[in-house]
Amino acid sequence: MPIITVNGKSVHLQELNKGAAETIVLVHGMFSNLSVYYFNIAPLLATKYHVVLYDLKSHGMSEKTLTGYDLESMTNDLLALMDELNLHDVHLGGYSFGGLIALKMAIRFPERINKLSIIEAPDPNDDKTRGIIDEYSREFLEHYVENFTDTTKVKMGKRQMERNHRMYEYLFYQTSIKTDMEIEKNFFSSQSIKTIKKSTLLLYGTDSNCLSAGKQLDGLIENAALIAVTGDHNIPIQQPMVIAEALLNFFQET
Amino acid sequence: MDTITTKLSSEEIFNLMKQFITEVIGEEFVEEMDITPESSFTKDLEMDSIEIVSFSEKIKAHFGEQIDFTGWLSAMDLDQLINLNLGMIISYIEECQS
Repeated sequence: MPIITVNGKSVHLQELNKGAAETIVLVHGMFSNLSVYYFNIAPLLATKYHVVLYDLKSHGMSEKTLTGYDLESMTNDLLALMDELNLHDVHLGGYSFGGLIALKMAIRFPERINKLSIIEAPDPNDDKTRGIIDEYSREFLEHYVENFTDTTKVKMGKRQMERNHRMYEYLFYQTSIKTDMEIEKNFFSSQSIKTIKKSTLLLYGTDSNCLSAGKQLDGLIENAALIAVTGDHNIPIQQPMVIAEALLNFFQET
Repeated sequence: MDTITTKLSSEEIFNLMKQFITEVIGEEFVEEMDITPESSFTKDLEMDSIEIVSFSEKIKAHFGEQIDFTGWLSAMDLDQLINLNLGMIISYIEECQS
């Protein structure tokens, strides 16, 4: 299992098609892990590109960390990971919270990013997004899992439920994730998103609560195109091949 | 990374898969399970996707270039992945060896 040390912490990463000329880095969302890309999306992109997937801190098989969940810290981690892998510039994709990290990356380090793809990044000021962070409980997890099961057909057994519960408990009650997210609530209304000049693909679900966030970004980023894909917030799991093909076409366009 | 060259029987592959599963989910859980070739990864073994990533990595590390396990998985849709069982993997590895 490939583990590297980034900013003093162990990070689990997966690389596909290492020899390719151009690199795509994909960032997963909160409470998820790199497996969201590993089975379908990354292999298709790897037919043309070097693809790098990594688990965010305290997620998947990366080391648990108590602090540093704000976008500044998360992008410091990604920059350090790129340096560690000797990647000067990459195409960058991010899903959900990973989409916010990708946006922040394009704002802070434009010289290190080529094209940008944002999948289902929420507006951090949205009550529903913040509500998840504010009101975690076992009931919340059960409801969340039930909803996830409904829309993705993935059932969660007892052991998995316990594992997830432990992860949520850790993130919500032991780490600084709540206060760190609070800092980001004005991210979309700040002027910084308007400074993004990169060619940007926005992929959102037609039935997603986040679609309005996608429309906002479409208005804020000069060189953006929004594609609405049938599904909800879970489109990478519901429609992996549609997402993979949209990403591949976008990154290949000249 | 040890890459094997000798051909394994289906029983040997099954035992190897059981060993990988134990390494991924832990002995205490495996002890409570009756792992058979019919065991499905998500329903019977209750493995989640990051555990299946670990399992895939173990297969890749063991068999090396001999088999393209991730490529094989990537051709499956969600329903097929959910219904994936050990027997299907054993057959796939046997096919690659022949």
